[in-house]
Amino acid sequence: MEADDLALVERARAGERDAFRALVVRFQRKVYAVALGIVKDPDLAWDVAQETFVRVHRGLGDFKGDSAFSTWLFRIATHLSIDAVRRERSARKEDVDEVRESDLEDGGEGILATPLGTDPRQNALRRELGEKIEEALATLPEKHRTILVLRELEGLSYEELAERLGIHKGTVMSRLFHARKKMQAALREYAGIRGDADRDGEDET
Amino acid sequence: MTKKDCVRFAPMIGAREGELSEVEARALAAHLAMCRRCQELAARFARTDGLVAEALLARANARDFAPFVDQVMDRIGTGAPQGARSGRGLLGWVGRHWKGTLSVTAPALAALAVFMYVHFGGPGQVASLEISSQGVSTVLQTSDGPVVLLPPEEHPS
Repeated sequence: MEADDLALVERARAGERDAFRALVVRFQRKVYAVALGIVKDPDLAWDVAQETFVRVHRGLGDFKGDSAFSTWLFRIATHLSIDAVRRERSARKEDVDEVRESDLEDGGEGILATPLGTDPRQNALRRELGEKIEEALATLPEKHRTILVLRELEGLSYEELAERLGIHKGTVMSRLFHARKKMQAALREYAGIRGDADRDGEDET
Repeated sequence: MTKKDCVRFAPMIGAREGELSEVEARALAAHLAMCRRCQELAARFARTDGLVAEALLARANARDFAPFVDQVMDRIGTGAPQGARSGRGLLGWVGRHWKGTLSVTAPALAALAVFMYVHFGGPGQVASLEISSQGVSTVLQTSDGPVVLLPPEEHPS
């Protein structure tokens, strides 16, 4: 049976390298995925993920266990990712958080109108979709990327997002709304591709 | 129902169970029941829900992670995590900050040692006591000859 996170943390804290190694292997891909979602660049995400584990190891003595190990781990990953983005980006206009009437205008209709299946053609579409999602995500401002990644990948609640990002719950809700709207808009071109593909499929049947 | 209602309720679309107050959840449900535009918005959000996670995890799973853990372990080195060796509390803190602790306590300990030597040393051990400063060192003139008290930074570790 796999040791639980806390048991591995205790052993790692006592200096057992194998225990810390097991923690790295257990979380490395998800930490990388979070970093990739926020920093966009795969190599930078790799570095951020590594730095996350180095910082975690350095801080094991101070980990109180008040929250889950994974919560602590991903908090560090999030902050390092945001720091990395902010170091790299040039000054640019930040989007506002509040929701206006113009934000309710339609965008991205028709995308993903049908769920993807499991046949080869749909698998190919799924791969293509993954690439398009990543491209679309990369077009979002950092704060919208971050909140969407944390919401979807880590599954954080509004309260947890507010705590993690140091913003009010209302800001969380409106920022998530903007992030989703921007994703829809960024996928609009792909929606056309999907629409053609779907129509072709219908013609064949 | 006005556009202002939509502006109010749109950010609530996509909330999970328990994330809205009962009042908010009821008001949103009532609005959605009447507003076709927000119904469509909710449907569009629902269609893309979870796709970001799926795409990022798929990308992570496609990458070769074989060297990752070794690179992390190399960066960590062979040392135990901070706090693991010296424990917690005052002793742990002193262990981690021994240089600072030594520099602060050494003069007091030296003074205490002199006091003990003068007052409790046997007869004939101290004929006279003269303290003078020579640079950063303090010299005790005792009956057995001069004794140089080293400053903290010169104490052997």
